[in-house]
Amino acid sequence: MKTKNIMYWVFIAPVLAALLIVVVVPFIWGIYYSLTEWSGDMAQTPVFTGFDNYKSLMSDPTFLSALWFTFKYAIVTVIIINVVGFSLALIVTSYIKSKNLLRTIFFMPNLIGGLILGFIWQFIFTNIFNALGELMGVEMLQGWLATPATGFWGLVILHVWQMAGYIMIIYIAYLQSIPDELLEAADMDGASYFQKLKNVVMPLVAPAFTVSMFLTLSGAFKIYDQNLSLTGGGPGGTTKMIAMDIVDTAFAMNTMGLAQAKAVIFFIIVAILSLTQVYYNKKKEVEL
Amino acid sequence: MKRSKWSYAFLLALLLMLGACGNSGDAGGSVSGDGEEGSGDGESVTIDLYQFKVEFKEQFESLVAQYEEENPNVTINVETVGGGNDYGATLKSKIASGNEPDIFNIGGPQDYEDHKDRIAPIEDSAAVDAALEGTLDAVTVDDQVYGVPYNLEGYGLIYNKGIFEEAGINPDDLTTMEDLQAAVDTLDGMKEELGLDAVFAFPGKERWVYGNHSSSSFLAPEFNDSVIEAFESDTVEFELSEELKNYIDMQVNYSEQPVLSLDYSQQVEALYSMEKVAMIQQGNWAYPSIEQIAPEVAENSGIIPIPVAGEAEMPVGVPQYWVVNSGAEDNVQQASVDFLDWMYTSDAGKEAVLNDFNFIPAYEDYDTSQISDPLSQEIYEYSEAGNTSGWVFLGYPTGFSEETFGDNVQQYISGDITWEEVVENSQAYWEENR
Repeated sequence: MKTKNIMYWVFIAPVLAALLIVVVVPFIWGIYYSLTEWSGDMAQTPVFTGFDNYKSLMSDPTFLSALWFTFKYAIVTVIIINVVGFSLALIVTSYIKSKNLLRTIFFMPNLIGGLILGFIWQFIFTNIFNALGELMGVEMLQGWLATPATGFWGLVILHVWQMAGYIMIIYIAYLQSIPDELLEAADMDGASYFQKLKNVVMPLVAPAFTVSMFLTLSGAFKIYDQNLSLTGGGPGGTTKMIAMDIVDTAFAMNTMGLAQAKAVIFFIIVAILSLTQVYYNKKKEVEL
Repeated sequence: MKRSKWSYAFLLALLLMLGACGNSGDAGGSVSGDGEEGSGDGESVTIDLYQFKVEFKEQFESLVAQYEEENPNVTINVETVGGGNDYGATLKSKIASGNEPDIFNIGGPQDYEDHKDRIAPIEDSAAVDAALEGTLDAVTVDDQVYGVPYNLEGYGLIYNKGIFEEAGINPDDLTTMEDLQAAVDTLDGMKEELGLDAVFAFPGKERWVYGNHSSSSFLAPEFNDSVIEAFESDTVEFELSEELKNYIDMQVNYSEQPVLSLDYSQQVEALYSMEKVAMIQQGNWAYPSIEQIAPEVAENSGIIPIPVAGEAEMPVGVPQYWVVNSGAEDNVQQASVDFLDWMYTSDAGKEAVLNDFNFIPAYEDYDTSQISDPLSQEIYEYSEAGNTSGWVFLGYPTGFSEETFGDNVQQYISGDITWEEVVENSQAYWEENR
């Protein structure tokens, strides 16, 4: 605390100012707009309507279904991405030869932008899957993205493919920091691979689980561009996620106030979920 | 040495802070579209133009360059962002950011309502005087005209003449839904001989195709073909609900499957242009795309109206209007109108409109025999004969065509809801948002 002299404040000031201007102030304005009826046009004055927007949200079927869809999506992707990411990290930190090449390959999807990714996978799902399905006579491969279920799994596959490599990098960093003595000691005691994994490796990389689960959870909730380019929310709005619903409410429906109310609710939900997750994960971490 | 490092850091911090403050100041004060550079120094004028038609971007820009050459005091900055919703949304964010364009596009009465605070009335305009009868109705409020039309467009069932001939179908006979159904059955039965995958390609993913166009054809009669009447109506009856259902069912059942993931480019480019399907519901705007892929198919295409309630009228309308920002300085507004007049009434402009843009002109005194592509030519013939119906979808409430009706039709196609629910949900949305 002794460090809080004048220079401390000089250095912290730009960050505080930036935070205030681009986060705090717009957020407060946003809360105000969520209490108004407004089309987003600066020439019009927002009409203050109190909590009307929030009330109508509770009976808004598109919002509730988007919320539910996003919720399901988040649970499934958080689990799959972390399992896949962790497994990939175990593979590329083992003694196989091509591990450097593999690291690059696994990470690469993360370098492609979300929109492009969506269009690439759209082609794969609709054209390549279809052709493969016809060739092999597999009914299941045909008509992808045309039903809510395939739309859901299409989005999951895309997101896992994109994020698993990134999460893998985080796990690699933690896996490499495990002291060799501990693993050797386990070997001496005659522990099998899975015993080592469960009792030595997993507890030691617990902080990595905290970080990557936080990243994947908040990432899954905020997803928009992949959603837009892969399914566009269709068919019939069944694969529309919250972010997309908010954008549509604001720009297609011209109800900025309502969209803002959705955004506030969305913020609260993501904040609660992420904080709870971090709190519980933290408790499981062990100090070396 | 140490000292200088400190001072650099301090300077950087200060700069960052100033930069952040400067930005927030900009976004804060932004009500009207003033602040044109050069508007103060007398003659020279800069016009910011924001338009939606990606298809003619290059041709339009070269016409603008020609205009700038003839009028050295005028600079026009053209910005193009394409297609329906995207344009509307970006226009709104442009306006919200205070960076308002001086000329922009609106679709019809609903868009006018959404933006009316910044749309200037257009007076003394040669383009307004020359506009064809009826094309200005959608942007006329209390006898005052607020916009000038882009062009005329029409949509219907684009068909492959060669395939129709081989199947022995005369397109001119398809004036009722029964005739159309019979022709579809014939084509469906001959799929193998004709080398077709399906009769139609129904792009279930593109909600605008049926949300705007199909629905408009079947709703037009109850609004007397008038976009204004649609705009002023508090309810929608769906008087031809059964016919609309049958029309959509027909396209879905005889389409390349699965329809719900079929999009515009597959419909037009992959299926129709490659002669995998015989018919698609689209408009003359699809012609350039077809021509780029298969010129011989494009040349050999025709268009027939969707038969509605026993009548075969071509739905012809104005896709978008040019409007001038009332927040712009007076001389900018005047220069904007001058440019639009020049584009649609001068000889050089007319030449470009017909031959470079491939437009069906919405104005008098054009040599319409020069309309180059067969689809536009046919549509023009229908409108010349007065055999047209109106585009009422531009008078739908915001969010009705795609987000409501379109989404519901998708759910109907996937079997989640019945047609009655589609109609009821759409009616409810209309009433709530009027």
